[in-house]
Amino acid sequence: MSTASSAQAYHNNMVGPVMRAGDLALAVIEAARIDNPGKEVFVEDKRAYIRIHTEHEMILRRETIEEELGRPFRMNDLEVDLSSFAGQIESLDGAVRFYFAKKL
Amino acid sequence: MAVLNRMDWYDLARSTNWTPTYVTEDELFPPQLAGAFGLPQNAWEKYDEPYKQTYPEYVKVQRDKDAGAYSVKAALERSRIFENADPGWKSVMKAHYGAIARGEYAAASAEARMMRFSKAPGMRNMSTLGCLDEIRHGQMQLYFPHEHVSKDRQMDWAFKAYDTNDWAMIAARHFFDDIMMTRDAISVSIMLTFSFETGFTNMQFLGLAADAAEAGDHTFANLISSIQTDESRHAQIGGPALKILIENGQKAEAQKRVDIAVWGAWKLFSVLTGPIMDYYTPLEHRKQSFKEFMEEWIVAQFERALTDMGLELPWYWDIFLKDLSETHHGMHLGSYFWRPTVWWNPAAGVTPAERDWLEEKYPGWNDTWGQCWDVIIDNVVDGNMAMAYPETLPYVCNMCQLPILGTPGKGWNVKDYPLEYKGRLYHFGSEVDRWVFEQEPERYAGHLSIVDRFLAGMIQPMNLEGALAYMNIAPGEMGDDAHNYAWAEVYRALRETRKAG
Repeated sequence: MSTASSAQAYHNNMVGPVMRAGDLALAVIEAARIDNPGKEVFVEDKRAYIRIHTEHEMILRRETIEEELGRPFRMNDLEVDLSSFAGQIESLDGAVRFYFAKKL
Repeated sequence: MAVLNRMDWYDLARSTNWTPTYVTEDELFPPQLAGAFGLPQNAWEKYDEPYKQTYPEYVKVQRDKDAGAYSVKAALERSRIFENADPGWKSVMKAHYGAIARGEYAAASAEARMMRFSKAPGMRNMSTLGCLDEIRHGQMQLYFPHEHVSKDRQMDWAFKAYDTNDWAMIAARHFFDDIMMTRDAISVSIMLTFSFETGFTNMQFLGLAADAAEAGDHTFANLISSIQTDESRHAQIGGPALKILIENGQKAEAQKRVDIAVWGAWKLFSVLTGPIMDYYTPLEHRKQSFKEFMEEWIVAQFERALTDMGLELPWYWDIFLKDLSETHHGMHLGSYFWRPTVWWNPAAGVTPAERDWLEEKYPGWNDTWGQCWDVIIDNVVDGNMAMAYPETLPYVCNMCQLPILGTPGKGWNVKDYPLEYKGRLYHFGSEVDRWVFEQEPERYAGHLSIVDRFLAGMIQPMNLEGALAYMNIAPGEMGDDAHNYAWAEVYRALRETRKAG
């Protein structure tokens, strides 16, 4: 495989959080499914971290995560386990959005 | 009492610019420190940080993070993870803490420069939190290894390394001095937070955490992935600055800074992260190869983010993609051979099973680096140890300060990239390292590499003993083979079998 094609293979429009493993990550996976209807949620578990991605845009709502966690949750509590993310991020009231400005 | 939603007051609360009347704008924000790029205060007021955080939120979230990291450490402290760990894994920890802990403190002062001198109020807010983050990282990564200092003297290098003239630290300081200690606030945001932290820190703090979790070192995995949650926030400081520069016709200057910082980061990671992922981490605990982690974090995630910001790929991207399969093998070969000059014990990582893995991940490994290892292995098996240690210093690059190397054996491409500047001959390990120098020669021209210092007579006596003293490597700290050459037994047995056959 040439280096160019190996790099090409990784070019995609996947966005979303990379979470530390734990109950918050599990709640985020469920919230990603609920808050992004019609989109397939890709979950890649690397043991220390979990990639949770959708195509092009992902919204995560505070209420949904709170519901899934079963305890009070403020949007900024996401940061406790948000190790990284793919795409750009936007902080909203009661939600966070991951997106790409350009589509490949 | 009703509380306003954060977004109803956030912009107002952090809009802290005013029109100075007692001093000029240049006195309030000296251009050399502010890095205004010819743009006035009001252009920077459009800076809109995408990852918003207020101080009360910060305190609560950080408290939760620390409670998690310290309680895992406390719970596992008596499980003798360190004592029972593979010696290769101990070397991973030693290399990591020494190269990184004190650099985090240095990064706090770089964040503080943005906090005081950036003309963008949003940047000042986010880097106030970023500065506190870096102090946290420095403290934790000194506190966590400290319990091991009494068991293993090399662990002391978590604190000591940054003040020494060890070649690896000269390289690390040269890079961090360039991107964060000697740049204006805006350049720090581009070079440190965007170029270095958005991409590369994921390799060392998440990729390595995946290996740590596989190796059962949950204290370390938990610590470094917790650190990365701070990084993922303050790494976002640079993005909006890039957008403002691009909108105001400064794309070329922004791009140049990204290109310089990404290349330097790559070289540093090729010597630090490459060997520990592909050679030191026990084979059965390797989650992915270094190249696969680089493709995941840098090629897929960072490259995509870079172009989404409106920047171009660095001009050398094809060279970089090719080097992903090559550079770190040479760096490992070099740091293993010169093992007395490092503060950890490099694991050779070349048993037949490990070579099969390397050949699978890097087709052609046996015909290239493998040929050099064959010679080292023969010397070790023959008990010819004098030939398995260095007598001289390697030649190092005047930009990255790391050995000038290429692919050996059947893939031979070793080449020096020289440049004469004001009567002095400089040597570089690649076209890109030389290009970085040429962008601002006066910035780099006065620096002496460790080999330049040796040739200038600054290292006495001029032998390995003198070099070790110069590098502050005390007796009992000098590196040697992590497994005390136990891995050579399998080759000895193979040779006996061949003789018998």
